[in-house]
Amino acid sequence: MAQAVGAQERPGRRLRARLDVTTPSLLGLPVAWLVAFFLVPIAIVAAYSLDALSLDPGKHPLTLQAWHDFVHSSVYLGLFWKSVKMSLIVSAIVVVLAYPLAYYLALSGTKRKYVLLLMLIAPFLTSYLLRVLAWKVLLGDNGPINTLLSTTGVRSADHPLTLIDTRFAVMLVLGYVWLPFVALPIFVSLESLDRRLLEAASDLGASRLQSFRRITLPLSFPGVLAAFLFVFIPTMGEFVTPSLVGGASGYMYGNQIVDLFGTGFPDWQTGSVLAIFLLAVVAVLTAVFARFLQPGEAKAI
Amino acid sequence: MDVALSKNGARLLRTFFALVILFLYAPIVILLIFSFNDSALPSFPLTGFTLHWYHQFLTNADLRGALETSAIVAALSSAAAVLLGILASIALVRRRFRGKSGVSALLLSPLVIPLVVFGISLLLLFHALGIGRSILTVVIGHIVISLPYTILVLMPRLQQIDLSLEEAAYDLGASRLRTFRSITLPLILPAVVSAYLIAFTTSFDEYAVASFVVGSRVTFPIYLYSALRFPSQLPQVIAVAVVVITISLTVVVLAEIGRRAAERRLEAPST
Repeated sequence: MAQAVGAQERPGRRLRARLDVTTPSLLGLPVAWLVAFFLVPIAIVAAYSLDALSLDPGKHPLTLQAWHDFVHSSVYLGLFWKSVKMSLIVSAIVVVLAYPLAYYLALSGTKRKYVLLLMLIAPFLTSYLLRVLAWKVLLGDNGPINTLLSTTGVRSADHPLTLIDTRFAVMLVLGYVWLPFVALPIFVSLESLDRRLLEAASDLGASRLQSFRRITLPLSFPGVLAAFLFVFIPTMGEFVTPSLVGGASGYMYGNQIVDLFGTGFPDWQTGSVLAIFLLAVVAVLTAVFARFLQPGEAKAI
Repeated sequence: MDVALSKNGARLLRTFFALVILFLYAPIVILLIFSFNDSALPSFPLTGFTLHWYHQFLTNADLRGALETSAIVAALSSAAAVLLGILASIALVRRRFRGKSGVSALLLSPLVIPLVVFGISLLLLFHALGIGRSILTVVIGHIVISLPYTILVLMPRLQQIDLSLEEAAYDLGASRLRTFRSITLPLILPAVVSAYLIAFTTSFDEYAVASFVVGSRVTFPIYLYSALRFPSQLPQVIAVAVVVITISLTVVVLAEIGRRAAERRLEAPST
């Protein structure tokens, strides 16, 4: 910083040539874009939640009424906890499944590890909506799974398994969608593990299980936590998957927000409260775990 | 002796890995099978081979229009996102300034916002400004979503470039712009291409935000979603799904091969 400031105060010829594109002119556009189309919109939602802006014409005093109602409502908070619980279960299962995959790729010494990694991640890079759609087709009462069961005589055609429109379906599909991605941060942290530590432990008489518990697992923990959060944060506000495969029992907090802004009985004030609350929860989580969510953990391939 | 895995452990993990791959690709393969099945319902037993569903979607003007709209939205929004991403990345990597951590947090924050919240935020913004919903409002939203991805791809590449190359250009009298055009841009080009591809696919597939700000001219994901309500459209939707997934898997593999080749080329002189 001192360098840039000093240069502006003493504009030598060569230094001025170097500064002909200033930092503000580089950052101006991207920052302005995010202020106008990211921060200001969020501020507008906050204003709606306080009734400073409203669909009803006329003057409005600021009020915390909608927030008060939200905090004391069993419906919205109940739905929030249900969504948190579903996201927690999905994230935990997916991380537990992804860990051995990442372990195999990073530590088995397989020569084709990057090919296998690409195979694992490739589905994540194809259309999210289409992968959910595939499961909507698969899980239907007259879909491939149920008709396969009835043609093979495992189950009678009159009593198909209820797969679609359940909470289970939502969690299965969310797990399916996120599993490939979650292996990535775990792989990165295992990949950077120094094998000599394991060799040293082995020389000192530790079994593989002991070195796993005392060395590998603790050292890969940041990757595991990052993986967990990468699933947990987006699934908490999920609404596309539950609306496609969840039915009434898979209805989540995100669906409630959408419906409050929908065409049925719009209530933008309550909807804004729900949205800002979710945003605040996510912001706190992100801030608390910021050091685990560094870009270095996220990128890689 | 291997310190990380026993022979049996490796075998076990390999089997598990294969099972997971099977689980990940089976739904796609099943879609592929039913896209050729001569029945309006995706159910067993299979009834015969047909190309009818592919023919049907190829002649479906609404669907083609939606694909075209998404291509336009994706092309515009990713071009803008990459441009903004290049500016921001250069500032974040090459400059020192007050409040840098705050600025980088702002630039990356769209990564973690729940898309449903961002969608309604944009809806309320355009409502407050009296701006009608259209392709343009979707493009505006997609630029915000894609920008952090482009920065995450561009920054590491910029950090790798030897600063002395740029300094040499200044010393030889090149302007900032000239240096960028002749030195920096060619060196970060592979990253620019991957940033563009990532932004493009993100936009092309984006449903959540678009569902709030799209106008009467719908994008492909919006079209798909509404088509799902009509069972008669399901077979051709499955056929489209197969085509789109196949194309994107191919692009992913080609991009990875290209990226590795470019990386090898860039690393060769220095090693």
